[in-house]
Parts: sequence; C-alpha cells; structure tokens
Amino acid sequence: MAKRAITINVNGTEHPVQVDAPDRLIDALRDQLDLRSVKEGCSTGDCGICAVLVDGELVNSCLMLAAQCDGRRVTTLEGLLEDQTMKRMQGSFIANNAAQCGFCTPAMLMASWDLARHSAEPSSEEIKVAISGILCRCTGYYQIIDSIREGCEKGGR
Amino acid sequence: MSSLELYSPTDLNDALRFLEHDGKNAAVIASGTDLLPRMRRRQISPSILVDISSFTEDLRYIRQSDGTIRLGALTTVTDLLETPMFYGKLSIIREAATLFGAPQVRNVATVGGNICSAASSEDMIPVFMALDAKLKLASARGERTVPLKDFVVGKRQTAMKPVEILTEVSFSPPQGHSWTAYEKLGRRNMLILAMVNEALSLALEDDLQTIHSARLALNRVSGKIPALAVKTSNFLEGKRVTDQTIAEAQKVLASELSLTSDFRGSGEYRTEVAQVYLRRLVERCTRQIGGPS
Repeated sequence: MAKRAITINVNGTEHPVQVDAPDRLIDALRDQLDLRSVKEGCSTGDCGICAVLVDGELVNSCLMLAAQCDGRRVTTLEGLLEDQTMKRMQGSFIANNAAQCGFCTPAMLMASWDLARHSAEPSSEEIKVAISGILCRCTGYYQIIDSIREGCEKGGR
Repeated sequence: MSSLELYSPTDLNDALRFLEHDGKNAAVIASGTDLLPRMRRRQISPSILVDISSFTEDLRYIRQSDGTIRLGALTTVTDLLETPMFYGKLSIIREAATLFGAPQVRNVATVGGNICSAASSEDMIPVFMALDAKLKLASARGERTVPLKDFVVGKRQTAMKPVEILTEVSFSPPQGHSWTAYEKLGRRNMLILAMVNEALSLALEDDLQTIHSARLALNRVSGKIPALAVKTSNFLEGKRVTDQTIAEAQKVLASELSLTSDFRGSGEYRTEVAQVYLRRLVERCTRQIGGPS
C-alpha cells in the first residue's frame, strides 16, 4: 500500500508527512511530529483528550484521518505556549490545582483557550458545555471550572 | 484496518463515478465521527473509504427559498447552532443540536452523516422526521428524492444504494399556529447517546384549542429503528388539547411502541419515558403557540 504525501500546517509550520490511509490526525501529530501534548485515550471520541484545533475549530484528532487534514491548519498546545491567553489559563490551572494526574490537562487547556477566545466572562454553564467533551479521569472538575473562569479575560475579578 | 485504502475524489461527480465502478466494499466518509469508531471496533470493515469531507463548497449550506429549507449534507451540527433560522418555530433543530455529542464532535459531525448512520440513537433523525424532511440521493445515473420516514429500513440500514450519496435534507417550516419541540434522555446530559429521544411538530386550529396536525417521531417505535409514531400522531389530530386527550394519547403511544431492552435501558422504562415526553412535548408546543395550558 502506497503512502500518501500530504502537507499539514502544524503550529504555523508547513510539515510534509507521509501517511497510510488508516492513519488518523493523532497518529501524524504524535508519531511523526512528536507532539506529545496530544494524548490518546479512548480512540472513539468519548474522552476528548486528543483535542486539537483544525482550521481554528476544536476537534478530536482520533476521529479524523490525517489525509483529511491535507492543506489544513492544525494547532496543538505546543503551538500556544507563547500565547498570552494560554499563559494566563495555564497559570490559573496551576494556581487552582486543576491538574491531578494531568492526562486531560492539555485537552482541557485547548478547550479553555477556545472558550476564552469567544467569551471574556463565561458563565459556569458555558464553561461546563465547553469542556463537556473531555473526560477528567480524576473527576477534578470543580478546580478545572474555577481555573477556566479565572483564566478568562474578565473572570479573575 | 491494515488493508484499508482511501480515495479522495476531486468533486461529487468523481465520487459518484467511483462508487458506480469501483465501489465494492467502499464506505463514504464525511467527518468520520461515527464511521471511524465503528471501524475501530470492527463493526464494519470497508476496504476503501471515499472521502467527501472536502466538498464543503458544494454540500455545506443552509438555504431557504420558495418555502423550503435546504441543508447540504455536509452542514455541521455547529452550523445548525449558529443559524438564526433555528430559533422560534424551528427551535427543535437547535434543541437537538445543543444535546448532540460535545463541542469538538459538533464542530465536524454532519447532518448527512448522522442520518446515514441510521442508528436508533441518532439525534437528528426523529427531528427531521417530525419536520417531514426529504432526502436527495445522488448517483452517477441521476438524483432521486426519498422521504426520511421511509429511509431507515433496519438497524443501521437505509434505503440508500451503495452507489448513492446523500446530498441534501429539505423540509418546509411548520405553518400556521405551530411549534416544534424535542426531548432526549441519556445517562448524563452531554456527550451521550440517546436512550429515548422524541420530537414533535404540532399545529393548532385557529381556535388555538384543537389540534390541526401532529407529527411525533421517536428513536425507536418498533424494534431498533427511528420512526414516526403514526397511530399516536393520528390520534392527536382533531382532538382538543386537554389533560384527558394527553392521557389517552399516552396510552395510544404505549400500545404503539414495541420496545426491547438493551444495555442502555429496558423496554418498559423506555416506554414510560416516551409517554412522559409526549406530555411534555404537547404541553411545550401548546404553550408556545398560545393555546390552553
């Protein structure tokens, strides 16, 4: 079976990669580009810890074929480390002890960042909806919700 | 998935030609949020995927013209949530979209994919059944239109031929003194497949007391396929909206349903929930229209 040559813009850089038909986006990100913030959990869309942004929209990278991302723009947590909103969100997660085992933390941060872009002062309900697709296996949701509220622009008051 | 191949057609016609000539054991993939997990669980094992996800220019749209609303098959669930059209009388679509999966699933999952998946837990099928939607199916030989109510013929089985692709869902918005509503029960609120979901489109006569028309659809009516509850819908038509009418309609619904048990819930429980939802749906619609409450 021939590999297919595609190009994905990941975190601002064009990356040519060779993929097999069944390769998912998460396979390309983790195994070829070594982006290990993208975690593999359930592999069926139930836990959401593989969440990344594709063309600016939050998606599960285990539910998308790598070949479907040819020519598209992918953002992982590694690409947002210098972003001010992300820095504020990470600081808030640390201050509130929102990471227990840490397995879901990168996905929670991606979902939080996505929310913070759209809403400067989200309600608890909006926060819960924003992270509803991500399973915290330690069930530490309250600390996460508090962190996101404080991490959003006007939430820290 | 080791021997899987992928075909990325240049446009819809190319995809249809491919299915016509080389489509043996092929599966059409849009976003893949349902297909990929099923392949991973080895519930299906196509040898080739035909990827239509890039046809967004042609198949991702929400249009209204000549009294008909048309949704391209690649319209995402998030698109539905962002459309002002689905407030008011058509809020049923918004309600179902709100309870659909989770944000990162809604951002890519498509209306067409949800309908073609044809499981008894799909959120959009009862909704579009209540709206009497029609589906446009394309093949290399032409197009045909089938009513959604006749589309799902078995568990995960549809009337679509292997050479066809669903391209459009269309329906007429409810007219007159009408409203639509949706209820869904799962084991939690978000990111859950429905145990029961139920959709109603209700119209009252000018007196705002008498039911002019009712279309009730559920994820399961008999066996494990979504369908219209025809007997219950017919029973409601022409009746005045009273407590007694609703109580009688609940009994009709219980007799019309023939539900089996599975890991999500027992047939008895599903039937009980469906009756409770019928009351809620009739009352919610009636209240919105301004009829007796």
